[in-house]
Amino acid sequence: MEKEQRHEKLQDMILVCMILVPLVPFLLTVLIGYYYFTSALENRTVSATRRIVDDHRHMIDFFLQERKADLEFILHSYDFEYLSQQENLLKVFERLQIKSNTFVDLGVFNQDGVHVAYQGPYKLTGRIYKDEDWFSEVMKKGYYTSDIFLGFRRVPHFVIAMAKQEGPKTWVIRATIDTYMFSDMVKKVRIGKTGEAYLLNREGIFQTERRSGGNILDHDPDFAKYIKDDSEIKTFVSRDFQNFEYFVATTWLKDKEWLLVVRQESGDAFSDLRHASYLILLISVVGGGAILALAFFLTNRIIERMIKTDMEKDRLKEQLIRAGRLAELGEMAAGFAHEINNPLQIIKSEQALIKMILSELVEKGLINAPEEMAEVEDSVDQIELQVNRCSAITHQILKFGRKSEITPQDIDLTEFIPDVTHMVSNKAGVNGVGVRLEISDNTPLVHGDAGQLQQVLINLFNNALDAINERHGVQGGELMISSGPDGNNMVRVSVKDNGCGINTEDQKKIFSPFYTTKPVGKGTGLGLSVCYGIIDAMGGSLDVASEKGLGTTFTIRLPASINKR
Amino acid sequence: MEEMKLMLVDDEERFLSTTAKLLARKGFTVFTALSGAEALENLKRHNIHVVILDVKMPGMDGIAVLKEIKRSFPLVEVVMLTGHGTVESAVEGLKSGATDFLSKPMDIDELVQKAKEAFEKRRRLEEKILTAHSDICKKSSG
Repeated sequence: MEKEQRHEKLQDMILVCMILVPLVPFLLTVLIGYYYFTSALENRTVSATRRIVDDHRHMIDFFLQERKADLEFILHSYDFEYLSQQENLLKVFERLQIKSNTFVDLGVFNQDGVHVAYQGPYKLTGRIYKDEDWFSEVMKKGYYTSDIFLGFRRVPHFVIAMAKQEGPKTWVIRATIDTYMFSDMVKKVRIGKTGEAYLLNREGIFQTERRSGGNILDHDPDFAKYIKDDSEIKTFVSRDFQNFEYFVATTWLKDKEWLLVVRQESGDAFSDLRHASYLILLISVVGGGAILALAFFLTNRIIERMIKTDMEKDRLKEQLIRAGRLAELGEMAAGFAHEINNPLQIIKSEQALIKMILSELVEKGLINAPEEMAEVEDSVDQIELQVNRCSAITHQILKFGRKSEITPQDIDLTEFIPDVTHMVSNKAGVNGVGVRLEISDNTPLVHGDAGQLQQVLINLFNNALDAINERHGVQGGELMISSGPDGNNMVRVSVKDNGCGINTEDQKKIFSPFYTTKPVGKGTGLGLSVCYGIIDAMGGSLDVASEKGLGTTFTIRLPASINKR
Repeated sequence: MEEMKLMLVDDEERFLSTTAKLLARKGFTVFTALSGAEALENLKRHNIHVVILDVKMPGMDGIAVLKEIKRSFPLVEVVMLTGHGTVESAVEGLKSGATDFLSKPMDIDELVQKAKEAFEKRRRLEEKILTAHSDICKKSSG
């Protein structure tokens, strides 16, 4: 159907518009908001981490500088002779420990690497360190901070050593730093749940413990990813050997010997970001869903309403065409009827003359053939009968075409319908039809010509009785007449029968003039079209619903009178 | 008592002739006219009591003829003959002074019946006029 296609097309168009128009700005808003919001959050996280790294670097640097300064102070305050004495060394060491409890021990070495004096938990006095790396380094550079190593004591530690030229001889003092205390100091950075900080040397060996696993002197398998040539702070996201994603910040310290690594699981570092993303996703899904649902719902409503309006429009158009055609036909029919009445009149006069002449002839005895005469008389009577029949038809046509004067008045259907029904009760009784009335007490008044309305009802009743008779004979018929308010200030009157019904094809034509299904001579085909014209003129409608073999319902809808009962 | 003189006015020639024959056989004196002009002419020449006048005629139509008859011959009774078979078309005729109306096709007996009634009316009217006239004469003479 062309109309259905049009509706579908329109439906698609409305749907697309109703989805796209709110959805596009909505999604754009969400996406743009998401982009700026997340980058702001990311920047905040990154810069916070950078700050932490920076602070930490300074702290570690400061710690190492301070320890160096401590040793420098000792070196410049005392000479080799003084410090070689065990009791002097003890005094100095005690003072040193007051300054920083990270000092584990303190030792004095002569030029040959012999441990001249030692104050600490190990028995290291007399040992020769001439071939140790740190010793040759300090002799060369005058200052040395080692990586963590095991050394003679087989415990991880790192040392700060310093050499001093005293005349021709050089001597060295060395202090060991408590690795675990140092490690704790580095470790104590806490960021979120998984944030951690640790030091690696140039080979990727742990210089401090890592909270998430990684003992001192172990090798960090992810070290290669952390090396950046720059001394600046680097931030990046990287996966570790266990395939966990980390947000990492690194910086070199101690003349690029140690690498400070601060890292946090990405999920943890960007948890705000993640939460925000989830929330935005949720809002998008719910909002988008709501837009879709609303679009579908509204589109359906609009199309439904449109189909209804279209149907109404078609119905009105059909009614209008029908009414117009009726009026035209009415006028035409009236013209024909009028013209036919003249020849009918002549036929009638001729017939009367023939009859008169014949009876005169018979009287005078001029015709002596009684049998033939009887036939001729019968024939002449038949002419009169048929002329009268024609006359009845033309009069009915003229009645149909005429615009007679009507006297509208308020009609109370609760009294009117029973009265009119009573007029056909006799016929109904003869045909064994049970007549049932269901007249609602709140049936509003209608305004119209009582005579016309009676004509309509009688016509419908008679049609119903004929239909019942055709199907049931003289028993089992049912005729129900009901009335009541019909919304929108309308009044409904239904005439329902269980007669032979009208097939779909005939239903379309029954209101057309001269259309009849009754046998020749039984109906003019004008009854229903007259009814239709009357109801139409009253501002109402007359509809039929029928099923062949089951029955027919005629429904009259009339506007309620402005006067209330 | 004078005999009723009838005139049929219609544009259908055959209707006129047949109906005239029928009425003649029933013993009435019948004039016919095919048009309004002819009818008025006949009225001038003969003392016609009742006119059966078709409403729809070419030229001068029934209503115009009726008005002219009522103006020139007020005592003539007119029965309108209409093809519409309804009251409406006759109402104007009745308003303009027609006595009654007949709708086509009618029985000859119907026509006779209405014509007789019209003639009766005319007779009573004439009687009244005569009585009134004689009263006046008596008063003037007495």
